[in-house]
Amino acid sequence: MLLALLRFRLRRDRLQLAVWTVALLLLMVFTAAAMTSTYPAVADRVGVLRIAMVTPALLVLRGTPQGTSLGDITVFEIATFQAVLIGLMSTFLVVRNTRAEEERGAAEALAATAAGRALPTVAAVLEGVVANVLAGGASALGLIAGGLPTVGSIVFGIALGAAGCAFVGLELLIAQLAPTGRSANGWGTALVLASYALRGIGDAGGTPHPASSTLTPGWESALSPIGWVQATRPYAADDLRPVLLALVVGALAVWAALAVQRVRDVGAGVIAEGRARRTASPALRGPFGLAARLQRGSVIGWGIGAVLLGLIGGDLANLVLEQLGSTAGVAEAVKRLGGSGSDLLGGFIIAIGGFVGILAAAIAVQGAMRLRQEEAAGGADAVLSGAVGRIRWFLSLVALAVVAAALALVVAGIAAALAALSAHPDGSAGTFGAWFGTIVWQLPAVLVILALVSLVFAVAPRATIPVGWLVLAAAAFLGELGALLDVPQWVRDLAPFSHSPAVALAHPSFVGAGWMTLGAVVAIGLACVLLRRRDTVP
Amino acid sequence: MTAIVEASGLVKRYGATVALDGLDLSVQQGEVHGYLGPNGAGKSTTIRILLGLARATSGRVTVFGADPWRDAARLHRRIASVPGDVALWPALSGGETIDLLVRLRGGDVGSGEYRRRRAELVERFQFDPGKRARSYSKGNRQKVALITALAHPADLYVLDEPTSGLDPLMEAVFSDEVAALARSGATVLLSSHILSEVERLCDRVSILRSGRIVESGTLDELRHLTRTAVSFERDRLSDAQLAGIPGAHDLVVAEGRVSLTLDSDAVAATLPALGDLGVTGLRVAPPSLEELFLRHYGDELVDA
Repeated sequence: MLLALLRFRLRRDRLQLAVWTVALLLLMVFTAAAMTSTYPAVADRVGVLRIAMVTPALLVLRGTPQGTSLGDITVFEIATFQAVLIGLMSTFLVVRNTRAEEERGAAEALAATAAGRALPTVAAVLEGVVANVLAGGASALGLIAGGLPTVGSIVFGIALGAAGCAFVGLELLIAQLAPTGRSANGWGTALVLASYALRGIGDAGGTPHPASSTLTPGWESALSPIGWVQATRPYAADDLRPVLLALVVGALAVWAALAVQRVRDVGAGVIAEGRARRTASPALRGPFGLAARLQRGSVIGWGIGAVLLGLIGGDLANLVLEQLGSTAGVAEAVKRLGGSGSDLLGGFIIAIGGFVGILAAAIAVQGAMRLRQEEAAGGADAVLSGAVGRIRWFLSLVALAVVAAALALVVAGIAAALAALSAHPDGSAGTFGAWFGTIVWQLPAVLVILALVSLVFAVAPRATIPVGWLVLAAAAFLGELGALLDVPQWVRDLAPFSHSPAVALAHPSFVGAGWMTLGAVVAIGLACVLLRRRDTVP
Repeated sequence: MTAIVEASGLVKRYGATVALDGLDLSVQQGEVHGYLGPNGAGKSTTIRILLGLARATSGRVTVFGADPWRDAARLHRRIASVPGDVALWPALSGGETIDLLVRLRGGDVGSGEYRRRRAELVERFQFDPGKRARSYSKGNRQKVALITALAHPADLYVLDEPTSGLDPLMEAVFSDEVAALARSGATVLLSSHILSEVERLCDRVSILRSGRIVESGTLDELRHLTRTAVSFERDRLSDAQLAGIPGAHDLVVAEGRVSLTLDSDAVAATLPALGDLGVTGLRVAPPSLEELFLRHYGDELVDA
């Protein structure tokens, strides 16, 4: 019975499992190969780890410095990221087989057969274990294929699989508690990201040992399944005790989840879905208020992303000051990112400004896509059936996108400036004005992209969403990588971000910003005229 | 009487598809106007044009004397509508949605009058406004739209299939509310394919078929165009006697009963002949819209 159910589910999920497994395998092959070519000599690895240990942002993003062998640096570079992927895979898999299945009604159909109530859950756990054996095995194979030592690669794979099993158990428990399948997915994702953040704090606050190029992470890492992966120290120590810890925690969580399941109703979590408001708040009025309410979650999410990016960018200025000046190739690359004639630090600030600009453009484009989503789902008609004209509805959503993007730029600009100044109060890592100005002056480029997508909405509404992503991807690619990849200058000039004022350099030009703002206003005006003429397109 | 809604020669094309094909419609002030037709006849398209959500390809249309496409926002302060396909924002609660949509119509949701009326409707429709819209059933989604339309007074109510998804008890509540609107002098355009509903509520009816109005008038006027069903016991009446009944159509004898139809305006003329025959168990059924409907769509049903 149990095996039949498991076979059925594995068959149903075989494509997803195959995609995850192959993706994890390839990621490891490429990472291992890249480490070999990027840091061929021990001296290269010592150099990069020395910078990392004085740059908290790098420790948070990467992981614990483990030593100077190729395997050690691979663990440093990829372990935490790979563990996040495996954690997310486990989360989605558990929710799909528990709460999502209950909400579809499939679980009741199963519970009505001889399968009983606990069996589908046990089958979900077993499938989770199978998926993690595959994921861990694929990771180990990928590392070996990438040219790393066999034993360490296997330990690394086991550590990743064990962490995935711990996430399966914890997520199963969350699935018993969360009010809906949707919220179970959200809480599970938050758990994985919190595990990542927790070990990031541990790594950033750990005790470095420069002599051996290692670091002892802070106590926070010991609370994180992703921290346990790093604690096995593959290639360096091959310590399997953290693996045991992960498996015990996973098993305990499964036991607790099964105990909870016995007392809860099918289709409902232990924590009931909160009562919603019975009346609208004073802010929920008019199309702008509605748009703000609908976009609230994603704007907050992107905003946090913008602040983190700003903090990391400001902190990474250390890299520029302490190391990059001496590594000719990297210095050249940074200079080219910032455009011709830029000094090294200015070029770096401009590059970070461009990244934040892309993030802000993503917020703005999402706001423009909301126009189409509202039109297609019928929300637009509901609003237009009130005393709201099409133009006012359109401009309200566009205005919200502008406000959200501008807000993200301002908070990211402040965060980056503060991060740079906290490390170097004398302004040698960039002054407040250089950081804040560079980032905030990305707004005209953001406006051009927003206006373009809005214009597409007025002309060819069904193309809004694909064009939106395409424009965003093209602007990001050309603006950030065009210079590195030797794309011809005239193509690069198409990217709005290459016309943002270079405030971090001497004598910035604001002509491009002026033209972009004017172009955006004209495009929005044109969109208004065209919108007057067209019906709602379902 | 002044016309609140006036349309003439209205055409709406979606690419090669003709949704409205020269439609004429007139809704007078203070009447409850039934708008009947099968799915796909163009009811919702008409209503979308009247609300300024779609633009007529050609023809003339006015609502309160203004062009609904150009003056949509201004007109909507006087119009309450229930869409044919109720779309809600999944994350908003029912109560929030109602308040928001009433605000968009220019209503003051803080006023005591609105709060009393909303509470009354929530009570009558047995609606829970404190749940997120994503968890509402079809019927509850419909209630959100109905309460929104009814909670804030309007001069014109445009209701597109308003009872779809409601159970019979809630349909009765809705009928009461529409009757109250009619008494208060509001104008109502009620689209439906449920004939009994229109028959019960409406003063005048327009019947739509393939984008054109094929019949329009008061229920009494339309009844002249229909036949009345008559049946009685066969007893010992001969075939010749039955054949001699004047004005009889569709005569059928089954299970000892004779059924036939009479032109509705010829019933009185035929009754003496039935009296002379001394028929027993006589039953005379007045024409229903059902029958009216079948007359206009009968050939379509046959084709199908």
